[in-house]
Amino acid sequence: MKLRSQTRVILPYLGILAVYALLMAVGVPWLVRRGQLAAAETGAGFNPTSLVIYVVVISVVGLFAGLYVNLRADARQRHALNQLTQATRDLGEGRFKELEIPEDVGPLPETQALKGALESTAREIQYRMEAILKEQSMLSAVLSQMTDGLLIADDNGRVLLLNKMAEKLFMISQEKALGRSVVEVMRHHALVELWEKFRGGESKSITLEMGVNRNFLQVVGIRLDDEIPGRSMLLFQDLTQTHRLEIVRRDFISNISHELRTPMASLKALSETLLDGALEDPPAARRFVVRMDTEVDNLSQLVNELLELSRIESGRTNFDFQRVFPCGLMAKACERMTLQAERMGLSVGQECPDNLPQIFADPARISQVFINLIHNAIKFTPAGGKIQLSAWQDGGFVVFRVADTGVGIAQKDVSRIFERFYKADRARAGGGTGLGLSICKHMVEAHGGKIWAESEEGNGANFFFTIPVAST
Amino acid sequence: MARLTLDRELRLVQDEILILGSLVEQAILNAVDALRRRDIAAAMEVQHNDRRINNKRFAIENRILILLATQSPMAHDLRLLAGMLEVITELERIGDYAKGIAKVCVRLAEEDTLIPIREITTMADKAISMLHRALDAFIAEDEAAARQIPLEDDEVDELYNLVYHKLIQTMINDPQAIDHANQILWVIHNLERTADRVTNICERIVFIHTGELMEMDSEDDESEDEDENLDTA
Repeated sequence: MKLRSQTRVILPYLGILAVYALLMAVGVPWLVRRGQLAAAETGAGFNPTSLVIYVVVISVVGLFAGLYVNLRADARQRHALNQLTQATRDLGEGRFKELEIPEDVGPLPETQALKGALESTAREIQYRMEAILKEQSMLSAVLSQMTDGLLIADDNGRVLLLNKMAEKLFMISQEKALGRSVVEVMRHHALVELWEKFRGGESKSITLEMGVNRNFLQVVGIRLDDEIPGRSMLLFQDLTQTHRLEIVRRDFISNISHELRTPMASLKALSETLLDGALEDPPAARRFVVRMDTEVDNLSQLVNELLELSRIESGRTNFDFQRVFPCGLMAKACERMTLQAERMGLSVGQECPDNLPQIFADPARISQVFINLIHNAIKFTPAGGKIQLSAWQDGGFVVFRVADTGVGIAQKDVSRIFERFYKADRARAGGGTGLGLSICKHMVEAHGGKIWAESEEGNGANFFFTIPVAST
Repeated sequence: MARLTLDRELRLVQDEILILGSLVEQAILNAVDALRRRDIAAAMEVQHNDRRINNKRFAIENRILILLATQSPMAHDLRLLAGMLEVITELERIGDYAKGIAKVCVRLAEEDTLIPIREITTMADKAISMLHRALDAFIAEDEAAARQIPLEDDEVDELYNLVYHKLIQTMINDPQAIDHANQILWVIHNLERTADRVTNICERIVFIHTGELMEMDSEDDESEDEDENLDTA
């Protein structure tokens, strides 16, 4: 291959040389002979003019032919080199698509070798580039999909990278954040302090609540010196949800302890009084024991309701669903509560159209909902008031309403009264456990219905709940 | 060379102002949170942290004064430094409002008073969101945003009026409640003033950018003197 390409380079010159030699070998003796013959005929001396002209012309033509071949080979070579240069440039600047290594680079073995080297380099670079891109896209997918926020900055406090979650946390876009100072991006003094600290070498983590959104974050600062010198990374873990649950749990515990403490304290007081001598006074002792009995009833009601609630919430309650007529249900509940209402000086009315469809419900549970709601109404309606029950159909649901003419509910409480232990008016609600409405809510929701309240302070309250109509 | 120093210094001061801003934002949010939870310890902490805000403000002021003295800034840079002086004063005042709210919180924590906390929280969130964006605009010298933000002040004012009338009604209905209702009046007043201070910051941004001094909130002609008396509550 090498030899042949070398031959290809010299071949034109050899050709010219051969023609030149041939012309010389044939032409010169012939001209000499002709000159000698002419000299013999005329008797003059040997005239070398034509011979000289011939030799000169042949030589000059040969020379030019050689020059021409040389120039052409040179131009081809230069063209090939230019193409190779362009290809190298493309390669260097990463234009793999436009990269074109010329097929024909001329016969010079050095150029051939250069072309070969360039080809393998391009292959290698392309291969490595693909691998890098693959890895990069994998990393960036991980970064953007991870649920923690991540931010990397250099030692001057300039942000070099932040992922999607961090963009969301700090409400800033990647383009805006890159190159800015960490202060500008994070906008939180505690975070900046953390940054200053761990930049000094110590890895630290803190928890903090951030901004108007009250995101509760755990932040970990890590020096990346082992991997990338002079860089640090902040990881933000969003603990808002966990934190909220923690608060709910804490509130619950504190509420329940409070609810338990009150009857416990009065039991303790009553029993102490009994021990201190009231026992010797039978009528008084009896009175005390009756009150103790009431307190124990209250306590057991609380515990029962709590158990009930936790059973419903955990989904372990068995509902005995069946087709029932809504009016019958309402009438039965109403009957059970009328006496109690009348004792408090309240009247109870009910209206229920006969043509209401059957509903799919557990009658005992729905009665419980009615009773809780009526009980609630009795508690918050002053004597002389009225409690009105009604029902109507609305699409695939029957809507029940328990309306009273009582004190109503303040606007700010309306949405919260179904929470466990929530008492809008602590002074008035003294007797209840604060669980009744919460139980109603869970029962209605277990039926696939909704429960809500509408009220204006001072103008009575309306409680509504819906139960799905039984499919025919 | 001097130019580079000034630029770098300006950026550092800006960062410091952002940190001050974040301290102030947190102070207001924490104060309102303490009020909601009736948490005396948290309220005391807000009051205590006010010293930190004041110190930070003085540190920044010093830095700006040194820059003014040593770099003899001109035109835009001069306006920027002057504007910064103004902005840190406003921020420090907002910090004082947070302290005022925290004080009320301590007084009311043990009382069985109804606090319209939902409205108050909304007011605080609104005002702080305005402040946050105003500081963004300050750093970016975003004049358009600076002209836009003060318009939101109306929402805060509306909430203020709403709670104000509610409280007055409470006072009329129940003279016993006057003291407590009055305390809550301080809280909403402080929040309303916070939003007004944000408007002042926005005015400064426009000034830094254009050199034009202007009053953005013509409706609010409450004099500063009155304010001085009020926010020491």
